[in-house]
Amino acid sequence: MEFLGLRIDMFESIWSYRELFIRGLWVTLALTAVGYIGGFLLGLAVGIGKLSKRKWIYYPAKIYVDFFRGTPLLVQILLIHTALIPSMFGHSLGFFVSGSVALMLNSAAYNAEIIRAGIQSLDKGQMEAARSLGMPHNTAMKLIILPQAFRRMIPPLGNELIALLKDSSLVTVIAATDLLYAGKVVAGANLRFWEPYLTVAILYLILTFICGRLITYVENRFSNSYVPSPRKMKRLAAGGRTR
Amino acid sequence: MGKSVKRFMIGIALVCTSIFLIGCGAGSTKTSGSGGDETSGKRKLVVGTDATYAPMEFMDEKGNIIGIDIDIVNAIAEAAGFEVEYKNYGWDPLFPAVDNGEVDFAVSSITITEEREKSFDFSDPYFVANQLILVPEDSDVESFDDLADKRVSVQISTTGHKVVQDLLGKTSSKIVAAETMPLAITEMVNGNADASVGDNAVIIEYQTQNPNVKLKTVEDDSFEKEYYGLMVKKGNQEILDLLNDGIEKIKANGKLKEITDQDVE
Repeated sequence: MEFLGLRIDMFESIWSYRELFIRGLWVTLALTAVGYIGGFLLGLAVGIGKLSKRKWIYYPAKIYVDFFRGTPLLVQILLIHTALIPSMFGHSLGFFVSGSVALMLNSAAYNAEIIRAGIQSLDKGQMEAARSLGMPHNTAMKLIILPQAFRRMIPPLGNELIALLKDSSLVTVIAATDLLYAGKVVAGANLRFWEPYLTVAILYLILTFICGRLITYVENRFSNSYVPSPRKMKRLAAGGRTR
Repeated sequence: MGKSVKRFMIGIALVCTSIFLIGCGAGSTKTSGSGGDETSGKRKLVVGTDATYAPMEFMDEKGNIIGIDIDIVNAIAEAAGFEVEYKNYGWDPLFPAVDNGEVDFAVSSITITEEREKSFDFSDPYFVANQLILVPEDSDVESFDDLADKRVSVQISTTGHKVVQDLLGKTSSKIVAAETMPLAITEMVNGNADASVGDNAVIIEYQTQNPNVKLKTVEDDSFEKEYYGLMVKKGNQEILDLLNDGIEKIKANGKLKEITDQDVE
């Protein structure tokens, strides 16, 4: 049976490789999660570093962002996996370490810019007011600036999550058993490309759709117009002490 | 929530529509590679290849596609009286390119397999290959069966990948399937795999290029001999006859033996 060049019977062959696809889903999710969380924390440090007036903090941060934003992720993955890690440890640490490190370093460069822009978008008066109340700079940053800036960073940080999820497919090149890898194995075994790659595309679509919902939830949760549920309103009215 | 589900469904509908449109487009823009160059008098055939497989087909410093396979096809073209133009497609895109007529035939160390013969036609074999096992010098691997509990790196979608899948299971996590053979060997050198399995020509080429990497090859007679063939679109008898005619001629006049240093059949 054929439909627009798609052969329905091919999906049986794909089904027989389901183990690879399921492992691929987990590997893709794990790589993205580790890369994203690490990338956020490192990006936070680099982003704040780029706001520093001290040159010895500012320039390393700037060079970092320029390098990782200015070179292709694919090249970074190959560099880290085939050269950097083997020369540091004497042997490879496996695709997962190289892959997640590459995604993390790359994502950090983009996150750094998002975080820097988010902080700079706030009115200067916020910091001035905090400082004039006698708050030290770091405390003001932690309690006044970052929470407000974070709300503005959510949409671009969400974009970065989805971009990273899709970019994680590049680790296939170092034989990481991610989602795309499963598709490639099936395509190679059958010499059919429509069905396996369509399956991969749909699986990525499902993952990005779930991520999209997650981002919308976080956005609503932190938005100005957030309205708590009636139950929570009651609790808040009672001073947050009832259970 | 209901609204977003509706939106999602509309999105899916859009995706399906675009797939349909792409399908229609692909049908109408069908190109034929064999135009026939009238000025030179000889017919010009477009040949697709994946030029990442030294010494069989690879690119020199100037970007010309060269190698043993290319020498053979040039000899075939000369003997059968046609001209060739090489195009680098990469391994995976090569198959649809032959299928939809973008190229007249493909040469890329393509082993003739039963599975591939279902979708494509192959010329007579022009090269005999066998799988070799490449291991670190101090490895205790002596035969293919010794790999049963080891991690093995291969080039993805090659016959080497297939034989290792038969040994370890087709979804085994012990198979490290890299994009190219050099990358697969690098995986082994860097400790991600205990052995590499691939075609003899490429493995021996790697060893000569990297004499300071301490590796040894293991031969196993249980590997079936493999034959490389030129791949044409299913049912394209005209090109097939032309190629077989050329192969027969270069076998007869000793040219094939001169290039490959082996007797085929």
